[in-house]
Parts: sequence; C-alpha cells; structure tokens
Amino acid sequence: MDIAELKSELEKLHSASFGWALSCCRRDHAEAEEVLQTVYLKILEGKARYRGESSLKTWLFAVIRKTAIGEYRKRLVRSLVFIGSDEKRDGAASLADGPTKIFENSELQKQFRGALAKLPARQREALHLVFYEDLSLSEAANVMGISVGSARQHYERGKKHLREWLSHTETENGIVWRRKETPSTV
Amino acid sequence: MELSGEEKKLQALFSELKAADEQSAPHFARVWNRVQIAPRRIRAFNPVFVAAAVVLLFGVVAFAVWSRYSRTVSVPPPRIAEAPPANITTKPTEPSPATTLLREIKPKQTSLTARGNRPSTRHTTLVAAADRKLAKDAKSIASWTSPTSALLESPSDEIFGSLPELNQSATQLKSFLPSRSN
Repeated sequence: MDIAELKSELEKLHSASFGWALSCCRRDHAEAEEVLQTVYLKILEGKARYRGESSLKTWLFAVIRKTAIGEYRKRLVRSLVFIGSDEKRDGAASLADGPTKIFENSELQKQFRGALAKLPARQREALHLVFYEDLSLSEAANVMGISVGSARQHYERGKKHLREWLSHTETENGIVWRRKETPSTV
Repeated sequence: MELSGEEKKLQALFSELKAADEQSAPHFARVWNRVQIAPRRIRAFNPVFVAAAVVLLFGVVAFAVWSRYSRTVSVPPPRIAEAPPANITTKPTEPSPATTLLREIKPKQTSLTARGNRPSTRHTTLVAAADRKLAKDAKSIASWTSPTSALLESPSDEIFGSLPELNQSATQLKSFLPSRSN
C-alpha cells in the first residue's frame, strides 16, 4: 500500500481514530491530537507498517493504543522531571474544549463521562471499541492485544458497571430514554 | 445479536459521545500537514542511544579501572635464573648472597617481551624502570664489603694463598746434599 492510498484510508478513519485516541488519552483533546500526529508520523517514517494481517482499522487502532500508552509514560516521566510543563497543557486543553461546550452542558453526558473515567482502562477500552467503534469482540481483542475470552470478560464487567450506573442515574433523575437505537455488531 | 434495553441505552450514550467527538476532531489535512512539515525531532531519550551511551560509559570506566589497577600492581618477585659463570668473582662453590641475588635478576629484555602485548606503553616503561632500579640495587649489594674485613687480614695470608713449589725446592736441596759415592 503506497502513501497516497494509505493517506486516503487514514482520512476515512480519521474521526474514528481521533475518538479512539481520546478514549486512550482519558478524554484529553490536546493529548489525543498529539498521539494521532505521532501515529501518522510513525506511519510516514515506516516505523509502523501495515502488513495486511488484520483490517486497517484494527491495525491503526492498535498502533494508536500503543502510542498513547507510550506517550502517557513519557508524559509521566516529564511531569516528574519538569514540574512546569502542566501550564502549557492546561492552556491547550481549555482551547480544545471550546467546540465541545454544547456537549459539556448535557448533564447526563457529563455523568456518563465520569462513569467511563471511573472504569478500569481495559473495561473502558472494550466498551469503547464495541459500542463506539462498532467493532466485534474479536476485533476489539485484536486491538487490545489480548485473547477474545479476556476481551469478553472486560466487556461484560464494564457493561455491568455501566448498567449499575445507569440504574442508579435513572432512579435518581428519572431520565426518559428517547435516543436513536442502532444495532450492534457484537 | 439482539441488544437488551440497557445495552441500547449505552449504545445511545456512546453514539452521542461519538457525535460530539466528531465535531471537536481536528481536520485530517491539518494534522497530516503538520506531520509532514514538522521537523524530525531528535529523541533525547531514544532507548538505543541510551543503551549505547551506557555501554560506552561502562567500557571507559572499566578501562580506567583496569589501567589504574595494573599500574599499582607490585613488580613480581625476580625469578631465579641461571647466571653465566663469567660473572662470578668469588669461589664457584660458595657464592656470596649478594652475587646470588645479582644472578637471580632476570634480564630486562625478558620482562619487556613478556609485557610487550600490553596496550599501555607507559605501564611497560614503568615496569622497565623498576627492573633497572632493582638491578642497580643488586649490584651495590654485590660490591659491598664488611668494615671489619681488615681485621681478618694477617701476614701469613700469602703463605695460605700460595702453594709451595716442590720441584724447585727439591732441586735446590739436591745441590746442597753431599753426593754418595757408594
């Protein structure tokens, strides 16, 4: 696959990739953008090569996940070494939060984000890949680099946690569900 | 697979989240162009560079320690070697201790060839200098004489030091002896 072809494929997957990067970066827009940029750079430099062993989306998501983990570790080390680096990040985050202001206003979505953030990383990833990215469990397992059985366990546990959160929220707020229902690929 | 009621709710929440993320996502062209324009960063913490630096540092430190240690090693005791008989000034049966020590010193050439394969020439020079000093000390010990040796001298030393010439004495005696006629 040449660069032009790869570029067009990446462009198609860009918004989904950004959503996945957001999930991997704990909903930090600036960090997610940086991770995505690093991933594209890796692809351009040939450090990440698509060999056709899985679908392009699965491969790309696996690269994004690995890159996000690597960037998080680097950031952690930098934060230990350079204390003043947080100021820049705060500013970038506030700028990136601008377009999502309307979405932020939704109280339920805020709570949902909070509930997602409280979940263990693996459970959050499994739920995101299945519900958000419409991937099957085997594809999700491939992205996460674990077996299908483990992915299913994370998915079920995460779903159980969110169900508990939902029932708690519904009883507390009396929310009526009138949202679009889409079939799942699970 | 049919979704249950709660799963549908979760799906709806995720769909809403996705829609919001798509709105806030940066344009692909912007990110792609930035990647192409951005200069290649030199990675300060590249693991390969770090590993190479550590190996290099270890090598330098090991060499420094080794060279320092090899300098402070004492000169090995001189090996006993067979000295040529021409060097002996006293009796061959009873050599003096000083002469023995002189004979015990190995020639310098041998020690130099033994250390010839060492990388440090300075180290070789130092060892050679130590050998020279040792040989000089041994020579000074060999030429040493006791301060009381003069007391042991006596006038009869010449008699003890020379043998009587029996043939000459016999001839002289013969001339003095009366000749027998019978």
